Amino acid sequence: MRRRLWLAWLLAGCAGPLWAGQLVVRISDSDGHAVGDAVVTVTPASPSAQPVPAPVTRYVDQRDETFIPYVQVVRPGDRVVFRNSDGTRHHVYSFSEAKAFEFLLRPGESSPPTTLDKPGLVAVGCNIHDHMIAYLLITSEQARVTPSQGQVVFDQLPPGSYTVTVWHPQLRPGQAQPSAVAAVGEGTEAQHADFTLSLIPDPRGFSDREHLDY
Amino acid sequence: MRLRLRRLALACLVASPLAGHAQDVSLHGYVDGRLVAAPGERGWVEGGLGKTRYGGGKVEARFGGAALVGTAQLTPSLLAFAGVQLQDGDRTGVDVLEAYLRWRPVSTTRWRGSVQAGAFFPPVSLENDAVGWTSPWTITPSALNSWVGEELRAIGAEARIERRGENATWELRGALFQRNDPAGNLLAVRGWSLSDLTYGIGSRLREPDAYVRDDGEQPPMRYDPFRRIGHQWGNYAQLTWRARGRGRLSLMHYDNHADPQAWQPNEGGERLYAWRTRFWSLGASTDTGSITWLAQAMDGDTVIEPVPNRVFTTRYRAAYLLAGWNRGAWRPALRLDHFSTRELPGTPGLHAGEHGNAITAALNWRPHDWLRLTFEVLQIDSTRTARADYGLRPHTRATQAQLSARLFY
Repeated sequence: MRRRLWLAWLLAGCAGPLWAGQLVVRISDSDGHAVGDAVVTVTPASPSAQPVPAPVTRYVDQRDETFIPYVQVVRPGDRVVFRNSDGTRHHVYSFSEAKAFEFLLRPGESSPPTTLDKPGLVAVGCNIHDHMIAYLLITSEQARVTPSQGQVVFDQLPPGSYTVTVWHPQLRPGQAQPSAVAAVGEGTEAQHADFTLSLIPDPRGFSDREHLDY
Repeated sequence: MRLRLRRLALACLVASPLAGHAQDVSLHGYVDGRLVAAPGERGWVEGGLGKTRYGGGKVEARFGGAALVGTAQLTPSLLAFAGVQLQDGDRTGVDVLEAYLRWRPVSTTRWRGSVQAGAFFPPVSLENDAVGWTSPWTITPSALNSWVGEELRAIGAEARIERRGENATWELRGALFQRNDPAGNLLAVRGWSLSDLTYGIGSRLREPDAYVRDDGEQPPMRYDPFRRIGHQWGNYAQLTWRARGRGRLSLMHYDNHADPQAWQPNEGGERLYAWRTRFWSLGASTDTGSITWLAQAMDGDTVIEPVPNRVFTTRYRAAYLLAGWNRGAWRPALRLDHFSTRELPGTPGLHAGEHGNAITAALNWRPHDWLRLTFEVLQIDSTRTARADYGLRPHTRATQAQLSARLFY
């Protein structure tokens, strides 16, 4: 028994860094500022059979007439629930090809779970408040959303060649997504991929005491 | 003035509990006080021929205006919108800027439609998208949009259809309206001006005293620009293309279809004629880095036929280019205006009408969400042949400087 545990530790913990690599992806804008809310997707050149994680339920909250989070990565089969934490009604909807839906949510209400089964991008809006926008990127690849520091780390990548693709809500519509090929080798040394994005203004409408959104 | 302020304060008091308790009711507004260095010539608002809102050559503190805008989401698809304002000058007190009901059901396809009915601005202006139909860039809107704020309002219904594409959205709007029959009169009798004095329903516009006297009448002479004269329906149609990261382009045609022979009794028993007013309007906006560019052009005419077969036409054109620099709390803006009118039928060898240019430089500072300070200098250079009829030099040059403090609610 002890020998088996020792072997398992060697394979999972100790031996891991010897054959798995790390990829660090940094996103910045043309002024050199870190870019948050970018989705970084890593696709191996030679896909290997990976266990499919069990579907989970994701949440999109609405606070202060803002969808939280703004950008989220979802795996096909995951469910999404929209929760209204505001004191006003929201009419959450999407006309995206990947998934179309609409939910009228009174204050404190949550939508029923909706399964997102088709890969693609789902743009979510509110028919009452046009400035509210959120994005759900449905993909079966490894993907992460950059925090405000603009950096994500992919650990435990099997050695090989990967295509790193970046999507951001402020990329010009119709423009090809920035991508690069990164070779992840054996060993503990991290590989780096840096992207500089040319961003257009934030699509979330600007609303304050001077500018009304009607 | 004290009574008007009291009325507006009363409206705020009545409405604020609504904003606090009803979940889908919102209330916003502004109040503006300013220090004005006015050009010497008497402003058109007070019956003069000056091209600016203020005149008389003084430096003095003025009440710049106040507005209150309320919305109520009656159902998920039905929105009620109303805006009232209080202005000084030659005015009647609180008046209604816009008031309409909009029905816009949710759509889970690329197409979305909506209908609105009531009183609303024809969608000409690219500048006036802030509370109370004000401009976030300057105190004074362009010549083109100054006129829209003075004489244009649609009282009727508008239908809108949008197609939200992958890369761009197309939008088509069309409206049928009445009660905008005197629109165009001001361009003919006064010419262009640059002023942020927007007129609401219930207010009266003043004709230049010199024009009124020349017509054998006794000034002051005022008229209601939102009055029905005849039973014709006016219409406008607008096609807009919008693409994120590229900009917006819109083309619009307006025709009030007024009968140029129709009239109604006006103040003092005088006749207020309907003016057949038509125009094309082209607008574009885009961003390059932190600079926002707005450009608009308008070309139209207005026709009156006070005596059968005696037709007077005023052709008018105006355009502007505005560059606004988005620097966070600081927002400088610079705008160039060009405007002209031409009276037809003309006298051989004489170009009767007006042509002029204006330059506006404004520096906006918003240290807080509730406060905007703006310093603006406006210089207008104009030549208008009709001034010679009143014993004045056709050419004028006026400079108006304003320092405004605007509080938002």
